[in-house]
Amino acid sequence: MMRISSLSATYPNGFNAVKKADLKLSSGEILALVGESGSGKSTLIYASLGLLPKGSSVSGKVFFDDIEFFALPKEGQRKIRWKKVSLVLQGTMSSFTPVLTIKRQFLEAMEEHLSLTPGEAMAKAVELLEEVGLEGNFLARYPHEMSGGQKQRCAIAMALCCDPDYLLADEPTTALDVITQAEIMNLLKGIAKRRNMGILMVTHDLALASSTADEICVMYQGCTIETERSDIIIKSPKQPHTIALVRSLSMMEE
Amino acid sequence: MSFWRLDTLFLAFLSLLALLTPLLGPVNEAVAPPFCKPLWLDHESGKPLSLNAKDNSLSFTWESKPPKTFSVKGTVTFEDVPKSASLLLAGPSKTYKLVDLAGYRNFDVDIDSRDVPLKLFLGLSPFVDVSSVIFSERGAYSLFIASDVKAHVDLNLNIYTGKWGIFGTDQRGRDVFRLTLAGIRISLLVGIFATLIASTLGMGLGLFAGYLGGLADSSIMRGVDVLLAIPTLPILVVISGVWGRGLWQIVFVLSIFSWMGTARVVRSLTLSLREAPYVEGLRALGAPTGYILARHFIPEAMPLLLAQMALGVPGAILAEAGLSFLGLSDPLMPSWGRMLHEAQVFGAFTSGAWWLIFPPGLGIASICLAFISVGRRFEEMADPRLREMAER
Amino acid sequence: MTEEVASVESLTLTFDKIDAPALADVSFCLNEGESLALVGESGSGKTSLLRLLLGLLRPTRGKVRLFGQPLDDVGGEELRRIRRKCSYIPQDPFGGLPPTLSPLQAVVEPLIVTRPNLKYEGTNKAKELLSDLGIEEALWNRKLVQGFSGGQRQRIMLARALITDPKLLLADEPTSMQDVSTRMDLINLLKVYLKNGMSMIFVTHDLLLAKAMTLRGIVLYRGRMCETGPTHLLLRDPLHPYTKALVSALPKLGKPIEVKVKRRPLPVGFKGCPYLALCPYGFDRCKDLPPMKQLSDARSVACFMGDTSQGT
Repeated sequence: MMRISSLSATYPNGFNAVKKADLKLSSGEILALVGESGSGKSTLIYASLGLLPKGSSVSGKVFFDDIEFFALPKEGQRKIRWKKVSLVLQGTMSSFTPVLTIKRQFLEAMEEHLSLTPGEAMAKAVELLEEVGLEGNFLARYPHEMSGGQKQRCAIAMALCCDPDYLLADEPTTALDVITQAEIMNLLKGIAKRRNMGILMVTHDLALASSTADEICVMYQGCTIETERSDIIIKSPKQPHTIALVRSLSMMEE
Repeated sequence: MSFWRLDTLFLAFLSLLALLTPLLGPVNEAVAPPFCKPLWLDHESGKPLSLNAKDNSLSFTWESKPPKTFSVKGTVTFEDVPKSASLLLAGPSKTYKLVDLAGYRNFDVDIDSRDVPLKLFLGLSPFVDVSSVIFSERGAYSLFIASDVKAHVDLNLNIYTGKWGIFGTDQRGRDVFRLTLAGIRISLLVGIFATLIASTLGMGLGLFAGYLGGLADSSIMRGVDVLLAIPTLPILVVISGVWGRGLWQIVFVLSIFSWMGTARVVRSLTLSLREAPYVEGLRALGAPTGYILARHFIPEAMPLLLAQMALGVPGAILAEAGLSFLGLSDPLMPSWGRMLHEAQVFGAFTSGAWWLIFPPGLGIASICLAFISVGRRFEEMADPRLREMAER
Repeated sequence: MTEEVASVESLTLTFDKIDAPALADVSFCLNEGESLALVGESGSGKTSLLRLLLGLLRPTRGKVRLFGQPLDDVGGEELRRIRRKCSYIPQDPFGGLPPTLSPLQAVVEPLIVTRPNLKYEGTNKAKELLSDLGIEEALWNRKLVQGFSGGQRQRIMLARALITDPKLLLADEPTSMQDVSTRMDLINLLKVYLKNGMSMIFVTHDLLLAKAMTLRGIVLYRGRMCETGPTHLLLRDPLHPYTKALVSALPKLGKPIEVKVKRRPLPVGFKGCPYLALCPYGFDRCKDLPPMKQLSDARSVACFMGDTSQGT
């Protein structure tokens, strides 16, 4: 279980983006962190991995299984990132260097964190690509030769290369069309179940969250205001902001 | 980011000095013997002396090595035409008659110890150093008029010891410190004007080439290519031969040969701006090309242009310095490059007269560094990524 | 008798050196006061279609008519006159606004360009529009380059488009960056203008949004029309496999998403049905282009399967 306890984060310019947020992610389940722009949801996951820009201040505790992340030295924290927890960034464009083939970027990631021979690394890369639904020959492609959906699958495959226990995905399907979005969501569901991984997904789309996630945590103005199983939260939201969100969605549907 | 930092303060200070240049007085006149060392450098020689005699006599003491040269200049007016009168310089043991004033009511005195007639008058060989003879002893001296008629005197006695001023003097006896200050004006003028003209030209042509495309674009860009291929220096040599050497000739040539870089950069910017959706929207509304260029492209290009200009000024200054160093500039123009040229030609480098080389050299380096620093800041404004790097 | 505001006939657009056309054989007609949705993902040609309508691009084949005037016949002053009756909201909120202006200046600019004498009233109207759209007064004079979010920019672009009171609005994903709660402000403002007689072509990939904003819709895939009809019917009873996939891909509150697609790589220069790239069905027949079949008075489908209206 990944646990975030009373996390607060402030950016160098003084903006307090996250105020005492609490979160629990169980293995094998998908938790969607839902909030509007400016609610602090992206900040929360970057802060929990210690990835905010220099000069930011973060307080609170983050636990991966029973390891307290902030209590670890820098080197220990580095080991946790990628091996226990990995991250899929927002905007697949930023995940890849445009001048290297996917193969180089995969191998680079794996060489950095595992110690495999080149042959083993290649085999593993092909295996991971097939797991996300791409063929092994994708390794020879450059990022610009792939569609948005394919790039996102590659990013997920790369995030899985060290067999992490938890995956944090920041808006994994913005800028993808609805059909590809549906495919990626189903892919994530399958990965969570198969590998018994806990997936934390940040999104602004409550409808998407409700159809994919097991649990939903709603954020508003830096605070985690309500956390509940997705079917319950849709039927009976308690907090006023959650109620408003659910209501505006139902208005669209009918 | 505050506007006033070290670089802008420095440049403002220099501009102030440049404006105050006329107060320096004539810079090209000799004020002391050539190749005087700076005052603070030479500890052996005595201090130079400058005295004015309004009465009949002037007394002073001389307690150091014999000076290099001395001069007496001024006027002597007699109440009546004297039958016998002379100007005498008396030392501790001997008195020397410098000039015979008899027979004239008004006499303009202009004696320099290097004058050959003076040497002959004193009965010395033309190759002798007069001041070392006259001032060979240490003690009390006096300069006076001996005549049978009352005289009114207005004489300036200047004794030069081989040290002068803050930076000494050059081969013509000009005060190097004043020359250095005067050089600021020249460098700033050339640098700023050449770059201003080049940038305006470059921006105009770049905008047209980028926005209009097609034949206009191709022809302007080929022009750029041709001009880039032509070497500046030989052209300047030719021009200086045909049109003469002068400040504005240099400005002209530098402008013609520096607008290409700006034009290319502005053209790329225009090409990318042209495709922006808002430009399409404006064109769909029927906005004229001129409106779009003036209201949108030029303001967007401004930070880039300012950066180019600030970085172009050092180039122009260095180009002018280089050209002057090669001797292609107006000899009467007190430019730093010219100073370096004369230092080299007249052997300052070999004789180790570093006080002739450092002031103009440091001047060029510091003004260029100041402009580059300002230019870097403009670049940061234009490119947000550089700004982040600067703030980190 | 309502006037025709825009119409295209067999519109085809091919770019040099690119085999697959950006648009192929698209035809529709829009009358005064009507709103039409163009539904499709990126690559469907919907943005090119808008640019063709404004005359910013020349079609390779086919005709475009704006306010009854064929665009290839008209030039200069007349073209400018027709264009001024239109407003265009581009898809990219970061490139769609001039960065050196402030929101107030950006919203007033279309008036300055089209009717310079109205500048004073224009400024007041701009302030009204900006407040209606939730841009605070403190931000009205800040330069756009100094950081506005995508959502704020979209609202400013909407104000900029509506200030000239256009007869025809061409909007390309105008609410894509809005949060669900703020989207309603924009939708409501658009509805006000629609009620006052503005016609609209609304490009989106979101069928639900299309249903909220328009009465009629056209589904495009890789430049070809797949299906047309009333938007609520496109949602309730989709006929073309692509429309079916789009509808089933929509996240529904509390229900898992199930989408049936089968990805097939198509050879270069393939002249059959483009949807074969994703279609879960896919018969031999589909190697030939299915013609657009008119079903009822408002519905048409381009699919060999759409011969009979299937229930689900």
